[in-house]
Amino acid sequence: MSDHHVSFKDLPAGGEKFEPAKASKLIGLFGALGGLGILGSIYFFMNSATRPAFSYSWLFAIFFAFTFVCGGCFWILLHNASNSSWGVVIRRLFENLGMLAIPLGLLALPLLFEPVNKHLYEWMNHHRTAAAHATHDHTTVAEALHHMAEENPHLHPLVEKFGYLNNSTWFSWNVRFVAYFLILGFIAYSLRKKFLTQEQDGSIKHTISARQFACITLFPFALTVTFAAVDWLMSLDYLWFSTMWGVYIFAGCAWSSMAVMLLLVTYLRSLGYLQKVVTMEHYHLMGKLLFAFTVFWAYIAFSQYFLIWYANIPEETRFYFIRNSEGWRWVSIFIVIGHFIGPFVVLLSQPRKKNPKVICAVALWVIFMHLVDIYWNVVPERAPSLGVDSVLVAGAWIGDAVALCAVVGTLGYLYLRGLGSNSLYAWRDPRLIESINVKN
Amino acid sequence: MSTTLKRVHGYLAEFDSVKDLYHAAEQVRDQGFQRWDCHSPFPIHGLDAAMGVKRSTLPWFVFFGGMAGTSTAFIMQSLTQSTFWSDMGMGFLEKIAETYPTVVQAKPTGFVTLPAFFPVMFELTILFSAFTVLFGLLAFIGLPRWNHPLFTSKRFEKFSDDGFFMSIEARDPKFSQEGTKSLLEKIGAKNIELVEDDI
Repeated sequence: MSDHHVSFKDLPAGGEKFEPAKASKLIGLFGALGGLGILGSIYFFMNSATRPAFSYSWLFAIFFAFTFVCGGCFWILLHNASNSSWGVVIRRLFENLGMLAIPLGLLALPLLFEPVNKHLYEWMNHHRTAAAHATHDHTTVAEALHHMAEENPHLHPLVEKFGYLNNSTWFSWNVRFVAYFLILGFIAYSLRKKFLTQEQDGSIKHTISARQFACITLFPFALTVTFAAVDWLMSLDYLWFSTMWGVYIFAGCAWSSMAVMLLLVTYLRSLGYLQKVVTMEHYHLMGKLLFAFTVFWAYIAFSQYFLIWYANIPEETRFYFIRNSEGWRWVSIFIVIGHFIGPFVVLLSQPRKKNPKVICAVALWVIFMHLVDIYWNVVPERAPSLGVDSVLVAGAWIGDAVALCAVVGTLGYLYLRGLGSNSLYAWRDPRLIESINVKN
Repeated sequence: MSTTLKRVHGYLAEFDSVKDLYHAAEQVRDQGFQRWDCHSPFPIHGLDAAMGVKRSTLPWFVFFGGMAGTSTAFIMQSLTQSTFWSDMGMGFLEKIAETYPTVVQAKPTGFVTLPAFFPVMFELTILFSAFTVLFGLLAFIGLPRWNHPLFTSKRFEKFSDDGFFMSIEARDPKFSQEGTKSLLEKIGAKNIELVEDDI
């Protein structure tokens, strides 16, 4: 622990600029993974035999990346709304993470189209039938669906849920799909713009307006995460519902994006950046937040399981039933241990949070467990939905890996390339010095 | 002139500012003193490091206190409400604890009932940890006690208002009546006072 007080004199004017050339190996790796992944994905999408299973792979990969983008937006919003100073030195890195919302939205586009989402969302197929009836009989889709439900009572919940779960009003699944990415992109872009302007004129008014902006947009942000989780994952089975679902996904977002930040900061430091501005105190603070969200996730995950387990309502228990039978049971147990107990015990003690090696190992593990968690949420639905009489669709894991490479590779490449366009930290932020010298 | 027998508690020294106290603390730390303390009306950031205070061992006690809470809750519930221990081959426990399996919604009463026990396990973990924190802390800092020798100093009353003090106890192996006083003078102390306590 150095007691030396860092002042403006110790810092380079204009902040530190990341040179992508220094990280060319990692950027090249991400680029290669992304490029090959996208080629593979195009093949899997074009081939009608592999498309059904690959639709799930794509949803899984997109949602995995989506949680990091949400996490990036969340941490900058929270940081500005709570008027904190400690994270000024790492805030820019989170802003960049949030800025991936638009490229991610472009990658997510296949999910909007019928050939892909007809394999994912059964309710959409019923709605399409209803829409065909409606055109034929000159009625509305809602009325046509109502008629269908009279013959098939299983469709009755779809009539009841029509106000939310539909593709034929202004508040449809498709409209919301686009809105989520625009909201996240708007949040990240606006906050980033304020702080980039501040680097020009050095005025405190940008900090204040960022705080006001963050307080207002926290609400749409919360709705975005919740409804995106509901739209994309919960509606895979239109009968299933859980009121904790949005919070559950949110907990994973905040948790995993903090882990990515720890790895990224360590990586940048190993390249010689951020040496003076990021201290072990920052590692400790980030480690504490990682620990907090480990516990928060466990709390939400258990509450969700517990309520469904106790109430024992068939529509609800199906979710845990398929995840607690056959091979998925072991994945569930592994998640309980690896997602909660392991990180909890390791992060409990302070010196371990201040040791970059230990905390980075934990962060890697956290990202892996988050991957398992998202996989466990999306993929068990695949075999029953596609009518495969087995736990897994044979060979579909290859598609999962390809989709993951395509999405993570492309976004990682874009992230690292984009890092170089501005200083790595907000070098004219009025609270920069306070943040560098933080003690906790 | 009083003839009451008195015992020297140590030196009490006043400092003008937080900065003076902070730097003085660094000096006293480097001299290797063990039994001494700083007193200020508000927390001073970084003073722990300047005083060389080591991390408390209290968290370890709390960890095991919490674990005790978890296991107490689990054992009490599983013993009285489930067939968990009999299933594990310890049927003799039935005679001691009179297992009374609680059947809820026709759910089995063995190990699979575990989720039902979690809320109580969680609560008792918190409760036992909190008790360990409170009572462990009181034991570590030596509370409750009726009085403290430093309160004999009239000047010391300022510590809760605008005074910054350092006290070095006579029990410290490095303490000497002359040497410690000159050290305190050297590091910028004002109003050095030898605190004596009635026996």
